[in-house]
Amino acid sequence: MDRIRRIQPPVHPFDARILVPIKSVTLRNGTSLFLIDAGTEDIMRIEFVFKAGMALEYLPLLATSSNMMLTEGSEKYTSEELNSILDFYGIFLSLIAEKDTAGLIVYFLNKHFEKALELIVEILFRPEFPEKELGLLMKKRLNWYRINREKVQNIATDKFFESVFGSLHPYGRMVLETDFEGMMSSLLKDFHTKFYLPEKMTMIVSGRIPERAVDLFEKYFGDLHSEKIYTEDSMNVIKGESRKKEHIKKKGAIQTAVRIGSPTINKRHPDYPGLKFLNVMLGGYFGSRLMKNIREEKGYTYGIHSSVSSFDLSGFKLISTEVGKENSGQAIDEIYKEIHLLLKEPVAQDELEVVRNYMSGEMVRMFDGPFAIAESFKAVWEFGLDLNYFVGMMNTIRTITPDEILRLANTYYRLDDLYEITVG
Amino acid sequence: MINFSRFRLDNGLRVIVHEDRSTPLVAMNILYDVGSKDENPSFTGMAHLFEHLMYCGTANIPEYDLPLQLAGGENNAFTNNDITNYYLTLPSGNIETAFWLESDRMIEPDFTKKKLDIQKSVVIEEFKQRFLNQPYGDVMLLLRPQAYTIHPYRWPTIGMDISHLENIDLDHVKDFFSQHYTPGNAIVTLAGNIEPVKAYDLAVKWFGSIPASDRAQRTIPLEPVQTKEKKLTVERNVPSDALYKAWHMGPRISEDYSALDLLTDLLAGGESGRLYNRLVRDKNLFSEINAYITSDVDPGLVILSGKLMRGTDIMKAEKAVNEVINELKESELSDYELEKVKNRFESSVVLSNTSILNKAMNLSMYELLGDPYMVNMEVESYRAVSREMMRETAIKYLSPENCTTLFYLTASKK
Repeated sequence: MDRIRRIQPPVHPFDARILVPIKSVTLRNGTSLFLIDAGTEDIMRIEFVFKAGMALEYLPLLATSSNMMLTEGSEKYTSEELNSILDFYGIFLSLIAEKDTAGLIVYFLNKHFEKALELIVEILFRPEFPEKELGLLMKKRLNWYRINREKVQNIATDKFFESVFGSLHPYGRMVLETDFEGMMSSLLKDFHTKFYLPEKMTMIVSGRIPERAVDLFEKYFGDLHSEKIYTEDSMNVIKGESRKKEHIKKKGAIQTAVRIGSPTINKRHPDYPGLKFLNVMLGGYFGSRLMKNIREEKGYTYGIHSSVSSFDLSGFKLISTEVGKENSGQAIDEIYKEIHLLLKEPVAQDELEVVRNYMSGEMVRMFDGPFAIAESFKAVWEFGLDLNYFVGMMNTIRTITPDEILRLANTYYRLDDLYEITVG
Repeated sequence: MINFSRFRLDNGLRVIVHEDRSTPLVAMNILYDVGSKDENPSFTGMAHLFEHLMYCGTANIPEYDLPLQLAGGENNAFTNNDITNYYLTLPSGNIETAFWLESDRMIEPDFTKKKLDIQKSVVIEEFKQRFLNQPYGDVMLLLRPQAYTIHPYRWPTIGMDISHLENIDLDHVKDFFSQHYTPGNAIVTLAGNIEPVKAYDLAVKWFGSIPASDRAQRTIPLEPVQTKEKKLTVERNVPSDALYKAWHMGPRISEDYSALDLLTDLLAGGESGRLYNRLVRDKNLFSEINAYITSDVDPGLVILSGKLMRGTDIMKAEKAVNEVINELKESELSDYELEKVKNRFESSVVLSNTSILNKAMNLSMYELLGDPYMVNMEVESYRAVSREMMRETAIKYLSPENCTTLFYLTASKK
C-alpha cells in the first residue's frame, strides 16, 4: 500500500477570530442593542432577550405560557392575522422561554426589515393574552405534556433537575397535570408587565445590517417606556434532594434512560473553562472516553453524552444515555469506571492534544458567520461577561496541563456528589 | 447566487467547488448514490448500518475520527432512501486531511466481524431508541409498507425489522461496499474558503488513483398506480389518538414537485397554515398537525400527520381533514395565500445559503439529480407556480384512491 496514505497531511495551526467587532448602542429609552455586521446574504437575525425566564415565575408554566402567548393576538391584530402576516413576509419567528431568560428570535430578508420591526413591537409590547387562545394553548400543552411523559428520556431529565435543584425552584420543579388548569389571562398580563420591559430589553442583531438600522431601531423601540420598573427578586429557593439515587419504573420500556450528574459552578467561575475541557474529554465529542467505551467498544447505546451547562444562579453537569434494558447495569458501571479514571490517572499527552485541537476547531465554528457569533455572544453576555471569556477559554484549551485536569476532576467530579436517575 | 466549478476525474468521481471567502472553514460533502432503496429486501437497514461501518477505520488509518479531530475538524453522516451522505468541516488550512481520510475509506475500510457486531448493536439500540421506545415511533414502519406494494421505499432507512440487521454478515458488508462505494458513484463537493484549482489538485492527488469500477444497473421496480383507498388501524399505548395520511406523488424531478411542496406549506407551514387555522385554532380537534413531502428521488409521498385532542372522535377528525383537502381542489386560493408560501420558500432558501454545509449538500444533491445549477433556480421555479397549477396538482394527487390512511389509536384499557 501507498506509504503516503499512512501519514496524515501536515496539520497547520489555526486560530479562531474571537474578538470580532460588536457595536454596542443604547437607544434613547435605555434599550441596549448589539450589532454584528457580517455575512454574504441579505438576511438578518435578531434575538430579543428579557430577564423573564422560569426562574422568575411564581406559578409553574407562567413564564413559558406568557412567552407562547405573545403571538396569539395584540392590540392591532388577532392571532390568526398576526401569524398570517409574519408568514406572508417570510419572517421566521421562534419564541423562547428558558430557565433565566425569555424572548424571541427572528430571521427575515432585509427587504422586510421595517415590517419585521413593526410586527415585533406588537408581539413583544402589545399582546392581549386573549382567554380563548389561552384556553387552546393550555389544552395543546397538556396534550404535548402527556406524550412527553411517555418518553423515558424526558421523565429522567425532569427527575434529574428536580433532584439537583429541588422541587421548590423553577430550575427543578416538575410540571404536573393539574398545573395546566386554571391559567388565567390576568396572570400572564401581570407577568408580562413585570418582566417584558422595553427599557430592560436587549437586542442582538446579526447579518448584513443596513446603515440605517440604528435609526429604525430608535423609530420602533426608542420611545417605548414601561409604567413602572419592577426590581423584585424571585422568592424561589434552590435546595437539592438528599436522596441521590432513584429508579422510576416505566412499564413496557425496552430501554433505560440514565442521567448521572450534579450541580456545579457556572460560567462566572474561573475554573469553568477547565471544567468544560474535562467534560469534553469525558463525554463531549465523538472521540470522548464515554463514547469510545460504551458505544464504540461495547455497543450498549446509540449515544452517550456528557455536558456542563450554566444557569444564572447555578450550573450542572450531566451524563445522559439510553441503553438497552439488559445492559443498563453494565453501562452504569462503565460510566463510574470512567469517572474514577478521571480522578486517578493523569491524562496522556496524545489524548490531551486531540481534545485541544478538537475544541480549537469548535471555537472556529462558534465564530463562523454572523449568526454563530451572535449565539456565542449571547451565551456570555447573559452572564455579564464579554468575548474575552472565549479568549480565556482558548487559552485554557491551549495550555491546560494533566495536573490541572486532575485537580479539577477531584474538585468537581466527586463520586459522593453525583445523583443517579434511571427510568425504564 | 451560488457560483461553482465542476470537474470529473478519469475514474468517474465528480467534484464540485463553491468558493466562499467569508468563512475560515471548508465543508466537504461526499454523497454516495446508494440508499435504503438499494437494499436486498431480506436485509433491510443495510445502507444505514454500512454508514456506521465507514467509521471503523482502514488498514492505513486505524481510526477515522482521531486525525480529523487533530486537524480541528468535525464530521457526521446520514442515510436516507436514496443516498448516503458524509460531511466534514475543517479550518481551511487543514482541508487536505479530509481528502486523505475520505479517499482512503473509498479504497477500502477495514471490516472485521468484531466491528460489525458492535455497530449492529449500536444500530439496534438506535432502532429501539428512535422507533420502538417512543410514542408514535413506529409510524413509518407501519405506513410505508401500506403505501408501497413493491417499491423499496416500503421500508424505512433504519430497516424493516431488527432481525434483518441481526442477519447481516461480513460478506454482505463487503459486497455492498464493492458494489456501491466506487468513485463513479460518488459526488465530492467543497464549499468555503478554498480555491477551485486547489480543490482540483487535491482531488486528483488523493482520489485520482482509485480505480474505476462499473456499477451493476439498478433494477428498482416501479410502484404501480394506487387505485383504491387503503386504511389501517392500530392500537398502541399512547396518550392520544393520531391520524396519518400518505398520498403518492411524482419523482423529485417532475413538474408538479414545486406545486406540491407549496401545497403542503399552504396546509401546514408556519402557524398560519390552513390545517392549523381550521383544525387546531378554530375547531380544537387536533393539538398539532403537519404536512410535508418526502422529497425522494423516485416517486415519494405527501404525508399528513396529526395528534388529536383528547376526546376528539377520529372519524370526525378525519372528516374535518378531508374538508380542508377538498377545499384545495374545489376553490381557487387567493393571490395573497400563494404569495405567502412563495415568500416563505424564498426566505428559507436564503437562510439555508448562510451555511457552507447546506450549500455543499444542496450542490451535491442537484448534481445527483442532473445539474447543480438547479440550486440557483429553485426560487424562480417556485415563483412560476400559478393558482391554477396549485389546484390541478391538488386534484391530481390528493384523491382518496391515491391515499393510505392510518388510525393510530390509544389502546383501550381493559
